[in-house]
Amino acid sequence: MTDLRNARVSRGQFFRMMGGLAVAAAATACSTKPQTTATTGGQPAATELKFVGVADQKAPMDKLVAAYQKVKPGVRLTTSFAPTDQVQTSVRTQLGAGNAPDLHVVYPGNGSAMSMSQIAKAGLLADLSDQAWTQTIPDGFKPAFQLDGKTYMHSAGSTVIGAIYNKKVFEKAGVDTLPTTWSEFLAACDKLKKAGLAPIALGAQTPWVTQLITYALVPSTVYAKDPTFDDKQLAGQADFAGSGWREAMEMYLELQKRGFFNDNPNGTTFEQQISLVATGKAGMAIQVSAVLPDFRKAAASADDLSMFPVPGADRADAVWIPAGVVVGLGASAKGANAAEAKAFVDFLGKQESINAWAETISAIPLTQDASSAIDPAVQSFLPFTKDRAVPFMDQRWPNAEVQPVHFAVVQELLAGKSTIDEALKKMDEAYQK
Amino acid sequence: MTSVKRSRLTSPPWLFAAPALVVYALVVLYPAASGVVYAFTDWSGIGQDMSFVGLDNFATLLGDEQATGSIGNTLLLTVAIMLVQNGVGLLLALGVNAKLKSRALLRVIFFAPVVVSPVMVAFLWKYVYNPDPSAGLNGLLGLQVDWLGDPSVALWSIAGMVVWQYAGYSMVIFLAGLEGVPRELHEAAMIDGAGTFQRFRYVTWPLLAPAVTINLMLSTIGGLKLFDQVFAATNGGPGYATETLSTVLYKQAFVFGKFGYSTAVALVLALFVAAVSLVQVYYLRGREVTA
Repeated sequence: MTDLRNARVSRGQFFRMMGGLAVAAAATACSTKPQTTATTGGQPAATELKFVGVADQKAPMDKLVAAYQKVKPGVRLTTSFAPTDQVQTSVRTQLGAGNAPDLHVVYPGNGSAMSMSQIAKAGLLADLSDQAWTQTIPDGFKPAFQLDGKTYMHSAGSTVIGAIYNKKVFEKAGVDTLPTTWSEFLAACDKLKKAGLAPIALGAQTPWVTQLITYALVPSTVYAKDPTFDDKQLAGQADFAGSGWREAMEMYLELQKRGFFNDNPNGTTFEQQISLVATGKAGMAIQVSAVLPDFRKAAASADDLSMFPVPGADRADAVWIPAGVVVGLGASAKGANAAEAKAFVDFLGKQESINAWAETISAIPLTQDASSAIDPAVQSFLPFTKDRAVPFMDQRWPNAEVQPVHFAVVQELLAGKSTIDEALKKMDEAYQK
Repeated sequence: MTSVKRSRLTSPPWLFAAPALVVYALVVLYPAASGVVYAFTDWSGIGQDMSFVGLDNFATLLGDEQATGSIGNTLLLTVAIMLVQNGVGLLLALGVNAKLKSRALLRVIFFAPVVVSPVMVAFLWKYVYNPDPSAGLNGLLGLQVDWLGDPSVALWSIAGMVVWQYAGYSMVIFLAGLEGVPRELHEAAMIDGAGTFQRFRYVTWPLLAPAVTINLMLSTIGGLKLFDQVFAATNGGPGYATETLSTVLYKQAFVFGKFGYSTAVALVLALFVAAVSLVQVYYLRGREVTA
């Protein structure tokens, strides 16, 4: 056997070895995986598309990707999903490096680092305006989908924020009729509290959950009184501190002061919030309808849970609700398969795809036909969607800083470490950046 | 032997190191140098729009309440972790260095948390820190503390989980130091009538100085750039109570889309860590002795 320890390599041999390795490494690094490979038996091999999305998109995407494979067997779509913050990190890095996936999550409007406006401004989203479905986007939703008149994002519809409640718990506590005014809402909470339950489960340790109560109240305290508030705020003629945001924050803290939340909301996560309502330890959670399927999965029976609009005013006809466009997706403008990626988005824009997506996440379809099924749990919101609904507030904020500041100040308020004045001042400062 | 031949033998083998150095330069030095350049720009992290803004990012940092507030949190966390982690690590090392039958098993048990991903540790401790009085640490100790939800407690709760994970790491380094303490010095001290504490104070402790230097430096660096556990456990909250410099720079880059400013924060953090480490090593090396 050759003694390797005594084997000698001349300087020339060493350079040749290293040179060979370097060439091999360079060849590997420079080669790109062919997107459409050679044909086999006359059949073109699959075009590979990659999609990166958030966890909320998994169920509808799984369903629609399977349907697309049947329509276009020549296209193979691989999907991956992760929590919002992780996706935001990885996709933004890929966008910055110029190797973004063919299709990826996009948030409606502005106000997030992954929002349609921010990415489209950088020229990284493909223009979808030539697709037929874009002509049917309702006018009120256009700012969420479009920048400078061009459509850059697809979304299957809208979702609402309201109270996801446990019917059995309400029945047990003697709450026979659903509240339609703020006073009735407080009275219902009181009954639940007297029954020994937490009226409202709040998982404020999960940052995005913190915003939902203010979002549920602000349509009534701000937009019902002045529907042009967003425009005025953008023009510098209005601010948080001098608006109905103050009233909404006071109502938020009133709920806490009256002991209507579970103990330690800042130490409670979204998952624990789901569990509290699903297992009947709490009466309701103020949440976005898109997570209703998660609550149903955790409950003994899916029929135990339903939703109602949170009444943020003392007159039922002055109650407005938040109805925002569901998190969507866009096609990379720089991808090697931009045409195929856009073709998939076009498929998602078909009415049956919109219906399938919306049904999976209990959303209200973007456009509706006879086969559109709207989850019975959100039926009570439909009368509001015509003229008493406003998009989620962050979708019209001018930068990505206001929303995280909103999360943080709500946590500070719940912890008693801040005042409403200080909270609104911080939000105004973030808005001005 | 001629001086030429001698110098060939003692000079570093650059040719053999060259491939590794090239890879290191491409993977570490080039990105780091690029980062320094981005610190002087207003790049959003995506797109081609970028302009040089001089020292604006650093001026903004001075007036950024969130960033300056996070410096206080970072320093408090670092000091707490450095002191407690090394204190516990030293006690564990002294314990498992004793003549116990189970000492090999105990070493494995105490070191085990080190090999777990910090993110996993954070998720595990979120269960331990359940605010429910009947669950987790509260249930065990009969307390009602909102470990991660109370702003006055959350920072120390994070320090606790970091110490739990890395005390075993400090223990291993102290153990290596203890192995190097000659037995005969202890025997001589015993003959001179020194008790257990005196032998530790005058024999073991001075000879452990190199291990103390390494442990203090590593725990300081780890504390100053702490990210994973904070991000997974509290994301800097409640409010800004557990925000560290690392979470601030992450949010500036990936949440707010201010990549240039974020890189400026990262540069300041890197220089700060280097400065603290150098001062620490200079001071601690001065008290090292050999047997």
